Amino acid sequence: MAANMYRVGDCVYFETSSTSPYQIRRIEELNKTPSGNVEAKVMCFYRRRDLPNPLIQLADKHQLAQSEDSPIAMKLKKICLKTPVGEEQAAQAVLDPALAAMEEESSELPGTDGLAPKQRHQAKHRELFLSRHVETLPATHIRGKCTVTLLNETESLLSYLNKDDAFFYCLVFDPSQKTLLADKGEIRVGSRYQTEVTNLLKDGEEDVRVNEELETLVWTPEHGLTDRQIDQFLVVSRSVGTFARALDCSSSVKQPSLHMSAAAASRDITLFHAMDTLHKSGYSIESALSSLVPASGPVLCRDEMEEWSASEANLFEEALDKYGKDFADIRQDFLPWKTLKNLVEYYYMWKTTDRYVQQKRVKAVEAESKLKQVYIPNYNKPNPALITSNSSSGKTAPAVLNGGTNGTAGVAPGQLCASCQVTNSTQWYTWGPQHLQYRLCGTCWQYWKKYGGLKVKTAGVFGETEVEVAKGPRGEGEDTALSVSHRPHRCTVLNCAKEFKLRAHLARHVATAHGSGEGARPVMKTRAAFYLRASPFTRLARRLTRALRRPRHYARSPFSPINLQQVKHECSIAMAGLGGAELRAAGAAGAGAARVRGPVGAVAARLAAARGTPVPAARHDWLTLTPKDAMPAPPHVAFPKPPKAPDGSLMYERVLSRAEIEARRAEAAPAQPLKRRAYDDINGLDRGGPGRSSLEGAAPPPAKRPNKHPAPMQRPSREQYAAMCARAQATGQPLPAHVFTHVNGKPTNISGRGGRRHVISWMDAPDDLYFRATETAKAARRNLSCGELRRGARAPWRAMRGGACKAAAPLQLVILD
Amino acid sequence: MAMQPHSKKRVCYYYDSDIGNYYYGQGHPMKPHRIRMTHNLLLNYGLYRKMEIYRPHKATADEMTKFHSDDYIRFLRSIRPDNMSEYNKQMQRFNVGEDCPVFDGLYEFCQLSAGGSVAAAVKLNKQASEICINWGGGLHHAKKSEASGFCYVNDIVLGILELLKYHQRVLYIDIDVHHGDGVEEAFYTTDRVMTVSFHKYGEYFPGTGDLRDIGAGKGKYYAVNIPLRDGMDDESYESIFVPIISKVMETFQPSAVVLQCGADSLTGDRLGCFNLTVRGHGRCVELVKRFGLPFLLVGGGGYTIRNVSRCWTYETSVALGVEIANELPYNDYFEYFGPDFKLHISPSNMSNQNTPEYLEKIKNRLFENLRMLPHAPGVQVQAIPEDAVNDESEDEDKVDKDERMPQSEKDKRITGDGELSDSEDEGEGGRRDNRSYRTPQPRKRPRLDKDGSTIKDEIKSEDSKDDVKNISSVEEPKKEMAPNP
Ligand SMILES: [Zn+2]
Ligand SMILES: [Zn+2]
Ligand SMILES: [Zn+2]
Repeated sequence: MAANMYRVGDCVYFETSSTSPYQIRRIEELNKTPSGNVEAKVMCFYRRRDLPNPLIQLADKHQLAQSEDSPIAMKLKKICLKTPVGEEQAAQAVLDPALAAMEEESSELPGTDGLAPKQRHQAKHRELFLSRHVETLPATHIRGKCTVTLLNETESLLSYLNKDDAFFYCLVFDPSQKTLLADKGEIRVGSRYQTEVTNLLKDGEEDVRVNEELETLVWTPEHGLTDRQIDQFLVVSRSVGTFARALDCSSSVKQPSLHMSAAAASRDITLFHAMDTLHKSGYSIESALSSLVPASGPVLCRDEMEEWSASEANLFEEALDKYGKDFADIRQDFLPWKTLKNLVEYYYMWKTTDRYVQQKRVKAVEAESKLKQVYIPNYNKPNPALITSNSSSGKTAPAVLNGGTNGTAGVAPGQLCASCQVTNSTQWYTWGPQHLQYRLCGTCWQYWKKYGGLKVKTAGVFGETEVEVAKGPRGEGEDTALSVSHRPHRCTVLNCAKEFKLRAHLARHVATAHGSGEGARPVMKTRAAFYLRASPFTRLARRLTRALRRPRHYARSPFSPINLQQVKHECSIAMAGLGGAELRAAGAAGAGAARVRGPVGAVAARLAAARGTPVPAARHDWLTLTPKDAMPAPPHVAFPKPPKAPDGSLMYERVLSRAEIEARRAEAAPAQPLKRRAYDDINGLDRGGPGRSSLEGAAPPPAKRPNKHPAPMQRPSREQYAAMCARAQATGQPLPAHVFTHVNGKPTNISGRGGRRHVISWMDAPDDLYFRATETAKAARRNLSCGELRRGARAPWRAMRGGACKAAAPLQLVILD
Repeated sequence: MAMQPHSKKRVCYYYDSDIGNYYYGQGHPMKPHRIRMTHNLLLNYGLYRKMEIYRPHKATADEMTKFHSDDYIRFLRSIRPDNMSEYNKQMQRFNVGEDCPVFDGLYEFCQLSAGGSVAAAVKLNKQASEICINWGGGLHHAKKSEASGFCYVNDIVLGILELLKYHQRVLYIDIDVHHGDGVEEAFYTTDRVMTVSFHKYGEYFPGTGDLRDIGAGKGKYYAVNIPLRDGMDDESYESIFVPIISKVMETFQPSAVVLQCGADSLTGDRLGCFNLTVRGHGRCVELVKRFGLPFLLVGGGGYTIRNVSRCWTYETSVALGVEIANELPYNDYFEYFGPDFKLHISPSNMSNQNTPEYLEKIKNRLFENLRMLPHAPGVQVQAIPEDAVNDESEDEDKVDKDERMPQSEKDKRITGDGELSDSEDEGEGGRRDNRSYRTPQPRKRPRLDKDGSTIKDEIKSEDSKDDVKNISSVEEPKKEMAPNP
């Protein structure tokens, strides 16, 4: 029962979407709506997956810094302490070489309490970010309780992992400003904050303080009277008070009965007065008694309660109704003959009256809409993601991968749990984008719903095959391609943060709203770039299983499903009983270890023999290369070398997209008036470009597909290029983008050339990761042998060797995220 | 009064009958009226007659600027609701406006609150009292030049500054649900005042009070912060309060204690988030009182006013060592205490997020810090025989020498209520002129806790009358020389 009682202040799971993880909220208010439903006003906690990447990175470093006292750590602490840190700053801060260094150091450290990698991965799911963001949700969406506590440095993250539904937070996230802030105040140090500490009095030094000046004694317990005597005196003074009221005409009006007079005379003011009288009479009952009944008549003590006439009381209630408890206004407009103190005192006494209690009851009924707790029964309806038994054999709906060049997951996940790889579970849930056909077992589904991640770091497809996500300088497994797709598309330009359902909408927004902005950086992620890194086991499986015998077929149609069960089955049979060495040998043998064919001369001889040509015995003159200058020049070059740009790169003509070709076709028709052109298109960079007039028609409508730097129709001649370059250099303006871009169809960023930066046209980018070669990078490349370069290209994840690597250290990867 | 589990002390109580009529403004949770409610309860419980009751003077600007900056006090003195508009800039600078509104009589209110604490401190200095109470004080958030958290003038800092004239080391303990940041900041760099604050930490006002905030400069390790989470109940509060305070007493060896009794740590507080009962809250007073040091009790937060007045009434009875009935006596504000009209309150069923492990870890970390304290300087330990006579004149002589108290002062000292006769709860070795707390010799104690807790055992045995002797022997620490200045 108690488990289903949700009170104000509780942290709870809210289910707002059946397919995404629960949201974690703290109940601030529970309100009954007129229709009888209960609405919860809640404060939002955010998960790591909800935060922009730079902030996450900064948060991680901040976390590291907490345990250190190094200058860098202090610097970092300051970043987050004083003011909220936005994404831009975070991104810059993270790039700070000093911080990067710290990162490296710490990666060697056991890090977070020496957790195992898996635990460290799971610990990330327990981290939340507090926010001041408040929203209203129907209470029926509550799906259970959890706890969120501020992480204390003495605590191990393990203590959270070992407890279900336990989360921690360190930082405060502002979802509207996209900033992070440490939830910590500061004790300031300096003469403006500390007090001067009084010195101890020296010997013989006199204390200027005298109690008599600081206080007035009102009562002392050293009175020599017994409790009984004091009580008796109090009764007497009350009696005197009652009698005084009998004599007092004004009070007899208000207190028609003796009982009421006695009650009035029993109020605390009479008792306090009695005590004062005793004290003043030196605790002599006798003299105290006589001062209760001086010559002027019996003493009458009345407090505000009694002082006020009925009409004044009515006025007060009326005023209270009108002004609330603004006593200054009440006094001014209703009861100017009273002092403010009169009013306050009366107010607090009035609260004890029946009148007030009645009003309170009325208010209580009104306040009934505000609940303190609410009972929400366990939610038992099946989640739509639950796979019912007849469909659990696996859907065969056509699934299409992105069609990316280096796409992966040609292997359908089939029957495995995408997280823990089990094959047996009483319940299965579809998970992730539908076409990927991932599924989670019951436990992993629960985990996903509560903690917003998978138990294991990667969404392994088979065996140890990893789908890695190419990400920032620091690949973070947290944020898989899958979870990215759950996020709304958010503009990352500072102070904008608009959100869009479709990436295309965002693209248009960025182009129109920020497109030409100075600070605009490539911000888009066209799609998740990932590649399949075949582990030795995958390779082995390819060799061993008949199911995978058609590699070409699978390469051509990566979406056709592979029966994983069969692969697994065959593998386990084939690998049964093989030792590590044998396995390695099997893999190596299969991997097509080069056949020994002998030297090229011998091969040539064999080939010649096969043709029946007589073998030249002594020297294979025909195998010697003709010197380059002796080569006959072709009369006509089919593909002439394109001109060189000032930086030495070749300038290829841009390959037109289909849309552009169509546009060109349309161009053949009479030119349509241009409706709207972006500022840049009019005043922008392309002005001097040749063939300008024809360009305008070539550009598709800006709203649909912004293309700021349309390629020229015809490749300019060498002379034209030279003129363009010269002009660009003279004016300090960068060259039109198309002059530089489109090496292999991939745009490159030409920022850093001085002058304005370009926004590359991300819509054209086939990939969201591109490499920006700096001078040093190029120099480093030159140090590499051809073979090394090729190897690097084929296995981009592998570290480059030795000196080349060092030289390449300042290489810059630009991520479009 | 039959046997009391508490010892009787001379108690001075500061109150001005005007205090209840200061009004922070509509909707403001701080209600000075709670102090008046407490006062009326004290009268009707018959506790009033057992104390020295004082009306404090109004602290002067001169007194307040012992801590606060001149321009800040000048500002407080001149600002009124009707001239606020002329002070826009200063209001911002001194953080007056929102949480700390300008209200009618603001300056007087500060004067009374500060006046009480200062007078109380002087009272303790002159050894004219053993326990002083100022429920109108305890405004622990006020900074040197800044109002904060409903506090304008920091009466606690002013009181401690006064105590420092006679005491080499003063201990400040804060059991308000909020961090005692104003006091901590004021004494952040001195080793003569240790500030110990138990408070809710994390997404909570004022945001300071991290475990790692330990003081700076000479004051490093002299700020002790116990960050707690929602739902602290009596049991877990005591489980952390007892060992920490014992350890602090042992290592810091103060010769005077100030306890801020903010009642917003009670269950059901309008602004709080703990789950303490009046009994659990009062337990802290009881525990600190047992150390037998000059003791200043001040108020503080507390926003469910019926519980605040219950709490402070109970704590006054604890200070006096008098048991009071659970049935509340009739008084002007009796209706506030419905529907049960009882003194004690029950905890709510809110969950306690402070696990024993969490508290244990916090405790251990704080112990590590306390171990960094140098052995308290200038304290000579002089054990005296257990059956030393309760010879007052001898005591007084020593005190005279050590404390340089003028003879005239000594003559004025008032003998407490039954202080000498009620020996049954004083124990035969009872003494009350200890100038500094020392860990008592383990002679009569059943055992010494591993973690250095020195009062745990007696707490467990407190309720059994047979253990009275044990208790008192522990309670009354051994005689020793006063610290050399
Ligand atoms: Zn699973
Ligand atoms: Zn935007
Ligand atoms: Zn407080």
